[in-house]
Amino acid sequence: MTTGTHVIEVKNLTKRYRDVVAVGDVSFTIEKDTIYGLLGRNGAGKTTVMSILTAQNFATSGDVRVFGLQPYENAKVLSRMCFVRESQKYPDDAKPGHAFAAARIFFPHWDQELADRLIADFQLPMKRRIKKLSRGQLSAVGVIIGLASRAEITFFDEPYLGLDAVARQIFYDRLLEDYTEHPRTVILSSHLIDEVANLIERVLVIDRGRIVMDEATDAVRDRAANIVGDASAVDAFVQGRQVIHRESLGNVASVTVLGALTLADRERLAAAGLDVAPVSLQQLIVRTTQHAADQSALDEGALR
Amino acid sequence: MIEEGRALFLQIAESVEDAIIDGSLAEEAQAPSTNELAAFYRINPATAAKGVAMLADKGVLYKRRGIGMFVAPGARELLLGERRTAFAVRFVDPLLVEARKLGLTPEDLELLIRDRASVPAASTTEGNAR
Amino acid sequence: MSRTVNVIRMQLINRQTFIWLPLIILGASFLMSLAIYAMIPTDAPKYGGGAQAPLWYFFAVGIQAMTLSFPFSQALSITRREFYLGTLLTAVLTSVILAAVYVVGGFIEQATNGWGLNGWFFRLPWIWEQGPAAAAVVYFGVAMLLFVIGFGCALLYKRFGPLGLTIVLVGIGVLLVGAMYLVGRADAWGQLFGWIATQGALGLSLWGMVLAAVIALGSFLTLRRATP
Repeated sequence: MTTGTHVIEVKNLTKRYRDVVAVGDVSFTIEKDTIYGLLGRNGAGKTTVMSILTAQNFATSGDVRVFGLQPYENAKVLSRMCFVRESQKYPDDAKPGHAFAAARIFFPHWDQELADRLIADFQLPMKRRIKKLSRGQLSAVGVIIGLASRAEITFFDEPYLGLDAVARQIFYDRLLEDYTEHPRTVILSSHLIDEVANLIERVLVIDRGRIVMDEATDAVRDRAANIVGDASAVDAFVQGRQVIHRESLGNVASVTVLGALTLADRERLAAAGLDVAPVSLQQLIVRTTQHAADQSALDEGALR
Repeated sequence: MIEEGRALFLQIAESVEDAIIDGSLAEEAQAPSTNELAAFYRINPATAAKGVAMLADKGVLYKRRGIGMFVAPGARELLLGERRTAFAVRFVDPLLVEARKLGLTPEDLELLIRDRASVPAASTTEGNAR
Repeated sequence: MSRTVNVIRMQLINRQTFIWLPLIILGASFLMSLAIYAMIPTDAPKYGGGAQAPLWYFFAVGIQAMTLSFPFSQALSITRREFYLGTLLTAVLTSVILAAVYVVGGFIEQATNGWGLNGWFFRLPWIWEQGPAAAAVVYFGVAMLLFVIGFGCALLYKRFGPLGLTIVLVGIGVLLVGAMYLVGRADAWGQLFGWIATQGALGLSLWGMVLAAVIALGSFLTLRRATP
C-alpha cells in the first residue's frame, strides 16, 4: 500500500433533501492507489456520496476536495475520474461501440485493447442498441467503460447488478489484473460484501447516511468470533465482552462477540466444550451495523 | 483455502511458510512474487505484499535487488521452531480435552499415537480425508 | 476549448441523431408532399407545410440531448459547461447544414418550376421574399429555436419536475394572454400586424434567434445545478 497521499478529502459532508438527511456529517479521506469498498445497504447513501465526489450531485454543506481541488465544473480534476452509475443512461439509439468511442475521446488513459478483451469476456453484442440490451449486458457496458478508462480515480457503483455470478467473477478478476498492472484508486460500492472482501484493502461502511466504519480490511477480519454451544456456557464465556448478535435454538446459542480471542480464551472455550466459528466480513459488518442501529434506537428511547 | 475470520495477509504468509516447511519451496529458491500470489488467490496485490513483507521482517524471506524475494537460509528451521511451539496449543491441548471426555488417560493416548503412527501412509491420509 | 470540440465529435459519433434522421425525415416529408401535389388536379401553385417536419425533429433532439446525452456526458466526466456549449454548437452546425440543404432544394425547385408540378416544398414565397440567404437564416433560426426550446423544457422537467414545467408553460401562456389583452386595450392590433408584416420572415426569425439566445442562457444557468 502506498503511503499517505490523499487523493480525496471529505470534511463534514451533508446532503439534505427537504427533511431527509441522505448523508449526515461524513468525513473521510481516500488514499492514492488503493481499492476501497464503500459498503452499505441499499439507500444507505453510497451513490449519493459518490455523486457528490464527482460533482454530479451537490453537497448541502461540507467540503470535498479531489486532488486538492474542488471538483465542480473543473475539467482538470473531473477528467481524471470516472463514475459510471448503477443505472447509467446512454444516448438513444446508441450502440455499445458508440459509447466506447465516446469514452475513448474523453478518458486520456483509455485502453482499447482492454476494452476489446472485456467485450469478448462479457460476450457483449456490439450490433444491438443499448436500449435493447439485457440488464446484465447493460451493466457490462458500464463495467467496461469503468475498467478501460484507467482513470486515476474510478468509482464502480454496484455496476455489476444484473451480471450473473460468472460475469461478476470475470469483473473481479479483470479488475484485480488490471489494478496490478496499472495501480489506481478504485472505490467499489457493494452490498455483496463477501464477494469483494478479498479485493478491497479498506472498508468504508455507510449506514443511513453516516460512516460507521473506516478501517483496513485485514484489521476488521479477525475482529469477531462466533461462539456456539450450550447456552449457559456461552453466556458465561461472553460475560464482560461486547456481544453484537445472538441467536438460539433450544438450549444451543450462537453469539457473535467482538474482540480477538487469545490463546487462553481458546483453551477456556475448548475446556467448556464450546465451538468457535469464524465470522465472515459480511456477517461482521451486517451485525455491527445492526447492533449500532439497535443501540441508537435504544438510546433515543431512553432520552425520551 | 482462504479462511474467514482471519487476516488475509497472515494466511498468505502462512501458505508460503507451509511450502517452505514441506520442502516444496527450498532455501535460496525464489519465492512467488506478490503479483503471482495475488493472482493465484484472487486477492488484492497490496494484501499479498503485506504478507510477503511480514515474512521478510521475520527473516524468512530476503530481497535480492532487481530480482525478487528469496527464501532465507535457515528459514525452515526457524519456521519449524515456531510451529512446534504453536503445535502444543493448537493440536495437543484440544486433543487432551477430547481425550478426557472419552476417558482416555495420557498413557492410553501414547499407545494410540504409536499405533496410528505405524499404519502405512496411504490409509492414514484416507482416514484424515473425513 | 478542445474538450468542447470533443463534445461535438461525441455527439456526431452516432451520425443518426444529428445527421441522418433529419435528412431522412426531410426526404420522406418531401416525397409525401410531392405525391400529394401530383394527386391534386390543378395547375395553380401548390404549397404545403411538409418542410417543417425536420425542424420539429430538432425539438425532439433538444429534448433527448437533455434527457439522455447529458447523463451520459456526466459519466464521461465532461463538465456541464463543455457539454452545453459543445451540444449547442453541434446543433448549430447541423442546422446550418440543414438550412443549406433547404436552400439548394429551393434552387432546384425553382429551376424545375416546382418539380414539374408547380408544387412548392422548399421555396415558399414568404420565406424567400428577401432572397436565398434570408431563407437560410429562417430555416436555421427555426431549427435552433426549436432545439433550444426542447432542451429547455426537458431541463425544466428534470430540475423542477412536471409541476415546475407546467407552471412555467402556464406562466408563459398567462403572459401571452396578458400581452394580447394589453394590445387589445390599446387597440393596437392593426399596428402589431403591420409591424409583423414589415419584419417579414427574416425579421421574425432574427427575433426568434434572440429569443433562442435568451432561452439558451437561462438553460445554461439552470443546467449548472442539474443532476444527471
